Amino acid sequence: MTESHVSTHVKPGGSSLRSRLGILEWKASPYLYVAPFFILFMFVGLVPLIYTVWVAMRQYNTLTGDAGWAVCGSVCHNATPGWTGNFLWVLHQPSFYVALRNSLSIFLISTIPQMILALLLAWVLNANLKAKTFWRMGVLLPYVVAPSAAGIIFSQIFSDKMGAINVLLQTIGLPTIMWHGSAIWSHIAIATIVNFRWTGYNALIFLAAMQAIPNDVMEAAVVDGAGKARTFFSVTLPLLRPTLIFVIINSTIGGLQIFDEAQLFHNGTSGYGGPNQQYLTISMYLWTLGFNNVTIGQPNMGRAAAVAWFLFVIIVVIALLNYWLTKRLTNGSGARNTRQTAKTAKAVRFREYEQAVNTGVVARLGRSGHDVQVNSDGPGSIGSLIRHDEER
Amino acid sequence: MKGSFKAIAATFVVLGLVSMGGCGGSADAAKQNGKTVIKIQTFNNFGYGKSTSEKPGANLWAQYEKEHPNIKVEETVAASSDDARSTFNTAISSNSGAYDIYAADIAWMPSITAMPNKFIDLSSYIKNNDWMDWKVQGGKAADGKTIGAGNDIGPTAVCYRSDLFAKAGIPTDREQVKDLLGGDSATWDQYFKVGAEYHQKTGKPWYDAMGGIWGAMKTQIKESYVKQDGTIIATNSTIKNLYDQLTATTEMSAHLSQWSDDWNSQFKADNGFATIMCPAWLLNNIKGNSGDFKGWDIADVTPGGGSNQGGSWLVVPETSKVKDEAAKLVAWLTAPEQQVSTFKAASNFPSSPTAQKNPTVSGKLDPSMNNAPVGKIFTDRAKAVKIVPYTGSQYYDIDAKLGDALGRVDVTKEQNPDASWKRFEQDVKALS
Repeated sequence: MTESHVSTHVKPGGSSLRSRLGILEWKASPYLYVAPFFILFMFVGLVPLIYTVWVAMRQYNTLTGDAGWAVCGSVCHNATPGWTGNFLWVLHQPSFYVALRNSLSIFLISTIPQMILALLLAWVLNANLKAKTFWRMGVLLPYVVAPSAAGIIFSQIFSDKMGAINVLLQTIGLPTIMWHGSAIWSHIAIATIVNFRWTGYNALIFLAAMQAIPNDVMEAAVVDGAGKARTFFSVTLPLLRPTLIFVIINSTIGGLQIFDEAQLFHNGTSGYGGPNQQYLTISMYLWTLGFNNVTIGQPNMGRAAAVAWFLFVIIVVIALLNYWLTKRLTNGSGARNTRQTAKTAKAVRFREYEQAVNTGVVARLGRSGHDVQVNSDGPGSIGSLIRHDEER
Repeated sequence: MKGSFKAIAATFVVLGLVSMGGCGGSADAAKQNGKTVIKIQTFNNFGYGKSTSEKPGANLWAQYEKEHPNIKVEETVAASSDDARSTFNTAISSNSGAYDIYAADIAWMPSITAMPNKFIDLSSYIKNNDWMDWKVQGGKAADGKTIGAGNDIGPTAVCYRSDLFAKAGIPTDREQVKDLLGGDSATWDQYFKVGAEYHQKTGKPWYDAMGGIWGAMKTQIKESYVKQDGTIIATNSTIKNLYDQLTATTEMSAHLSQWSDDWNSQFKADNGFATIMCPAWLLNNIKGNSGDFKGWDIADVTPGGGSNQGGSWLVVPETSKVKDEAAKLVAWLTAPEQQVSTFKAASNFPSSPTAQKNPTVSGKLDPSMNNAPVGKIFTDRAKAVKIVPYTGSQYYDIDAKLGDALGRVDVTKEQNPDASWKRFEQDVKALS
């Protein structure tokens, strides 16, 4: 410190290299600090990702390895090798679409109630409760339970014959539910396992974000006369937007990749995802293709890689859709700043200004003071104001 | 100050690089304290290790290490054959020498014998061992190399609930049950006929699951789903007729999915199933699922002729650094004496005729099966096995689809047999 101070003082020109180095360090060092992650990511993330693209285009079997470009085969009446072979094969599989349906359905059934519940929970936890930490830790408890443990417990609750729910239904004389036989019930059961684990976790993230909302904003809303619900929807929710986007995109990825819960719900060894593929998710389909069907001569890895890429694209599309939806939904209360309303508001302001210039009377004051005089059809209506102006 | 920032940054980069390179540098682990280490992967319970309450064993490692002081055996037991298989597939495809010996299930053998150059020829090591002829064939590659040394087999008998039989007024003596089901010329027709009578009398299920019956049926056809030349014949009349015969008995089924919790819980239930197709290794499950309940017995009969379900082989991959020692251990493990020990300790039935004749095997009585002479029964059942089904090509892929078809009719009851068969035909078409 002292040395550099002295050198600048005595000989300003000599420090230029030093200061340039200093600037360089200032600019470059942040990148150096984050570099380890990106270098690691490149090797354990990016390289496998690109390798998967290659595998997806090849006739690749786990045991025998690569055997040239992929062949779609008899399902698409095309035996010529080419890079699209595995992708076309997957698109010709009815199972793929069933798996897609199941994944989307489980995703919707789990994510929507989960978000609503988590928001409500966070809102309640944000209130002035006694033993706050206890309640907050309580909602996190299911998250601590290992997914497989939760899966095993719930798979016993949802057993078709001896499961807790069906035994209960039977004792009170109601028909039992075919948890594994009916697609929608199996999705509800699996979504329940997911919600059990993740609702509390998401609630805590929402809670943290809610506590970051400055108090004066809330107080201002209260002073303006907003009730609890109005404050929640018009102040809290819009201010939670970044957190909402994060949580929703996260649960989109998690929801579409769902595997453990469905696999443990299956509760048996043969026939993955149910005999009629009632709860075969995309991830399970991928796994079955890649790791259970290792029949020599079939490009099991290539097909699984192709499914993985379809899944990737679907997740990106739905995540973008969610991002857009969340942005729209949390744009504040009723008044949406669409271009049309902005235009109208601007026009009104302009007329008000003109009016003020022409008459020397501030239009707004006039309006609020002498409603009846200025407006014939109700106070404050933009339409009436404009019409009034035109009449003049 | 400036220097230390750079130093920290450099350290991070170096650490990052080191942690990435770390996985490549595994040292030669074949030797440890001067001893040659042989690593073996098994699954479920092969009965090789020390005996515990959950996994009975013959403590063979201690014996072998005593006889060969310079050898150390490390056994890794995978929870299920599926887990073991994915490890096996990864190791074989990447040529990594993860293990020196793999226990291979019958379902893996077609893919193993299809790549003979990845496994060593055991012929010169196993000269003193003997196996039933079809077990030898199962471990042979197309070029005649013996790459799999036979371990256990799964000859199938019929296990039955003598308490439920007694309630229904059916004879409970195991010889009489054998005759009732048709004795040595037992057919599926006869089995289902008795089942229909039992069901009419009691209203209770006769068998556990169509999947269980199918498990035996499919092993009685030489070429079921695929021909040896690769032609798919899964939707031909042979399979269709059996499928029709089986699905016509829907009311006799307990509508369970095998290996599920519901299935486990029905072994001792008062309204449980009365019979189950019983490969030797299933006795372990019957014991485990029955607890203190003692109603099970076993009859020396297989409907439709003999049937072998499951069974395993031991293979040594070419990537092993201790091939010679590993092959010697494989030969020793599959020798008749050791097969006798493992059957005595656990219920893995020997594939060696010499071992089957051994009085310890042939005279074994099972107290949890009403003191049935299980040794003699399974020896007879093994002799009755005349057909070795061809399971190459897409056999197991198609088999999974047929299992689904039966499940749609039997377990989830969402389709009638015809609709489910149509769906099966589509599934088979979509496979290729």
